[in-house]
Amino acid sequence: MPMVTAIILLPLAAALALAIPGTSRPQARMTALLAAGLTLAMVISLTVRLDRDAAGLQFVDRHSWVSEAGLQWAVGVDGISIWLLLLTAGIFMLALIATAWRPPEREVGFLAAMLAGEASLLGLFAAADLVIFYVFWEAMLVPFFFLIAIWGGEGRGPATIKFIIYTMVGSVPMLVAILATAFVAQDITGQFTFDISELRGVSFSEAESTWLFAGFVLAFAIKLPIWPFHGWLPDAYRAAPLIVTAVLAAVMSKAGVYGLIRVGVPTFPDGAANFAIVLSVLALIGIVYGSLMAWRAPTMRMLVAYSSLAHLGFIVLGIMAFDIQAGQGAVLQMVNHGLVVAAAFVIVGLINRGTAGDHIDRIGGIASGAPRLAAVFLIVALAALAIPGSNSFVGEFFILTGVFRHHLWLAVLATIGILLAAVYMLRLYQTAMNGPAFGANARAIELRTLDYVVLSPLLAAMLAIALWPAGIVGSTRAPVAKAVAPAQVAAERPTDQIEAPVVPNPPPRALPLPGDEPEVAEVSP
Amino acid sequence: MNLAATTPILIVAAAATLALGVGLVPGRAAERYGPTAVAIIGLVAAAVMSLVFWGDRIEAFEGSLHIDRFSMLLNLIFITAALAVIILSIREPGAVARRGEYASLILFSTAGMMLVGAAGDLIVLFVGIEILSVSLYVLAALEVWRERSLEAGLKYLIMGAIGSSILLYGFALLYGATGTTRLGEIADALNGSALGGEPLVLGAVVLMVAGLGFKASAAPFHMWTPDVYEGAPTPITAFMSTATKAAALAAFLRIFTAGLADIEADWDLIIGVVAAAAIIVGNVAALLQDNMKRLLAYSSVGQAGYLLIGVAAGSIQGAEATLYYLLVYLAMTLAAFAIVIIREREVIDGDTVQALAGYARRRPVHGAVLTLAMLSLAGFPPLSGFLGKFLLFGSAVEADMIWLAVIGALGSIVSLGYYLRVLGVAWLGDRRPSPAERGLESPPLAGLVTVTSGLAIVALTIAASPVLDACRSAAESLLAA
Repeated sequence: MPMVTAIILLPLAAALALAIPGTSRPQARMTALLAAGLTLAMVISLTVRLDRDAAGLQFVDRHSWVSEAGLQWAVGVDGISIWLLLLTAGIFMLALIATAWRPPEREVGFLAAMLAGEASLLGLFAAADLVIFYVFWEAMLVPFFFLIAIWGGEGRGPATIKFIIYTMVGSVPMLVAILATAFVAQDITGQFTFDISELRGVSFSEAESTWLFAGFVLAFAIKLPIWPFHGWLPDAYRAAPLIVTAVLAAVMSKAGVYGLIRVGVPTFPDGAANFAIVLSVLALIGIVYGSLMAWRAPTMRMLVAYSSLAHLGFIVLGIMAFDIQAGQGAVLQMVNHGLVVAAAFVIVGLINRGTAGDHIDRIGGIASGAPRLAAVFLIVALAALAIPGSNSFVGEFFILTGVFRHHLWLAVLATIGILLAAVYMLRLYQTAMNGPAFGANARAIELRTLDYVVLSPLLAAMLAIALWPAGIVGSTRAPVAKAVAPAQVAAERPTDQIEAPVVPNPPPRALPLPGDEPEVAEVSP
Repeated sequence: MNLAATTPILIVAAAATLALGVGLVPGRAAERYGPTAVAIIGLVAAAVMSLVFWGDRIEAFEGSLHIDRFSMLLNLIFITAALAVIILSIREPGAVARRGEYASLILFSTAGMMLVGAAGDLIVLFVGIEILSVSLYVLAALEVWRERSLEAGLKYLIMGAIGSSILLYGFALLYGATGTTRLGEIADALNGSALGGEPLVLGAVVLMVAGLGFKASAAPFHMWTPDVYEGAPTPITAFMSTATKAAALAAFLRIFTAGLADIEADWDLIIGVVAAAAIIVGNVAALLQDNMKRLLAYSSVGQAGYLLIGVAAGSIQGAEATLYYLLVYLAMTLAAFAIVIIREREVIDGDTVQALAGYARRRPVHGAVLTLAMLSLAGFPPLSGFLGKFLLFGSAVEADMIWLAVIGALGSIVSLGYYLRVLGVAWLGDRRPSPAERGLESPPLAGLVTVTSGLAIVALTIAASPVLDACRSAAESLLAA
């Protein structure tokens, strides 16, 4: 059974079903929850059945679409993408549950857009073909465009336009780079394909590799976002409805880093090696900048948004270190960040229940009226600042160890980020939770039975990762080793660190057989 | 054999003459349904004959007409456009008043287009272009009681005549350089000659690009387009923007990709620049339009730019991509215009964007088709419009014109600005003050045209493979001439 295809198409089909006019609210709610639940169940079953030691894609579905133009439908999962699929399916499930309890206006449309967003993110993470990757990358914009434009708060108009323009500016060079990759690779290997695994190892010249990587990386940098391409983020996060902001920060922000580790680094190792320091420094600036902005952020929502900028900086550092351990840490940190940010936004949502806004300076002493919430908040805050024993600690430790091995100075400077995280998270906890109570109706904020349904899976997952990080890290070793190996060769790393074989494409000594010559393009009449 | 090979053209021309006659027969029923029925039957017969000749290669009249897959594929495009327009115009005031003339002019115009598609000789090509243009001058002005319509007709006549004369001058220079008007012989004369880069040939190239640019409404030769599209009766606008553009592109492919292939270095940049200009001008100007017909006019300028990318690439891949995109463009544009036509019958200001406010919520099927058409026009993946643009950009990249692909991709981002605006208004807009309802019946089969076009957009996406095979073989037959 083509499981991966089903995982992508099920939420999409549900979204289309909801788009039929005349769907009643209860029907829509049932359909959405059922579709998201089934999707999650299928992803879990894939996770269980995944071969944890294999480096390549598994459960691959491949169907020719337009063979003349090399277009195909190709999806599959490996030890990296499975965790992102799980994160996506899980977070969307919780988001839909939360939506069902506090339904927005035009609920049916909202649910349909959310499901469409889920489908496009799942498709993106499962794509095994550059064109499919691009299709979902773009398709993602439509549901999020409507989610922000219709259900957003103040300033949604400009925020949406900024969001769309920024993203599109990145994706145009990417489309051209995808086409150029296929044509350049055809000149080298004689084979016209967009399949990511077949493009791996193509011996691009250094200039080609650098330019093509640059074409892709702009799109990733904007989506991440990396400083200074983050201009869209504050407005979009501020204007979007809270649930959408949570999904943007928890799941969509992984699209950019995922692109780096799935496409950018493995396919264009020379280009990645040339850009490694630049990207790492930008990521470092992002860590410091995001932390400082989070420290001075007026509202809790913006604090969490800016802290994302800092956390994603760590992930980029981990990937661009071309180190297996750092790469594993980066993948683990993608999941950790998703969980922590989602939990943080749930808490922001709960606090919003008892106050007019979530201005940090206008509330205080919530802990006295809502002790259980304060306890959960403390757990999340400590996880966000990666205290030893928390899930994020493992991830950041892996990343920093890997970075340390190659660039001591980067690792030292990056620890500043950890320090600053403590500053802003503890400031938030102290002002909002401790001290004299004012500004908020703590009774309304306190956790209720239903709130646990959303919060406990997130907390349980965080705890599970903290106790048994090997559950995720173990399955990422082979695919990460395979992904970074070409870049390790390009960056002239010691051979004992390179675990996966690098097979050049075409093989160096393969001579063209008679009849194998590329066709003559010119046809003269 | 010569005559037999030209049956599709002859059938359409004969049906045109017959329709004119039937329009004169007294009696309400004959007057009302006669010409339309004759036209539909004639077009269907011509389509069947075109399919019968699919796969044949006949050079009729000593090479002045090429009956090959290329011309047969274009025949089908022209016939489909004409058929859709005839159906959409059943209740159009201009058509009701002069039923016979209306149907027969559309058919004559179609016959002219078919001549262009099959032309193997510059004279035949020019005659074809004149037949199609002269019929359209009259059609644009057919609603004589409406000043806008008369203005459109006059403007189109003047600008079209200028375009034709420039084109003719270019043909004359080319004849001067090569000593023949046969495209095949021109290609032979240029093959291995030192004519490439000669001022005479360059002048011919520039004039021909300009003249055909007028017909394809590519910038900077597009100035007439918005006014004429807005003023002409809407079904005629739909016909102009689909069939005429296809005919102009067919001429581009016949002359440049096939005839002047040996001196590609002299024209690929010129056509590339015109394509880029059309993409930029069309898409930016469309952002500012409040009238659907003007919006679609500027959008068609931009789309002409995309279509020309395939010509500029100068390869089989480019011609294939252009042909595929012509098919997709036909479906998308007919879907958009069909909805405007239906809406125009319902409310007085039916051709404005605002008239569509909330329309998609009330008529979800029309809304879905409109959504498909707009997203596909914008090149949204994975719809057929995206596929076409993807192939076109691919052919540009392959021809080392990456800059053209970048401009094309940027243009399609800009185009999202207005296509999404239409969708936003249609799905989310509220219409106030309450519209002046006309409550006229839509043409009886307009819904059918709308839905068929919508389905065609989807079908061209899913079944792209066999369609592209057909386009590929058509492109090959073009170059094999």
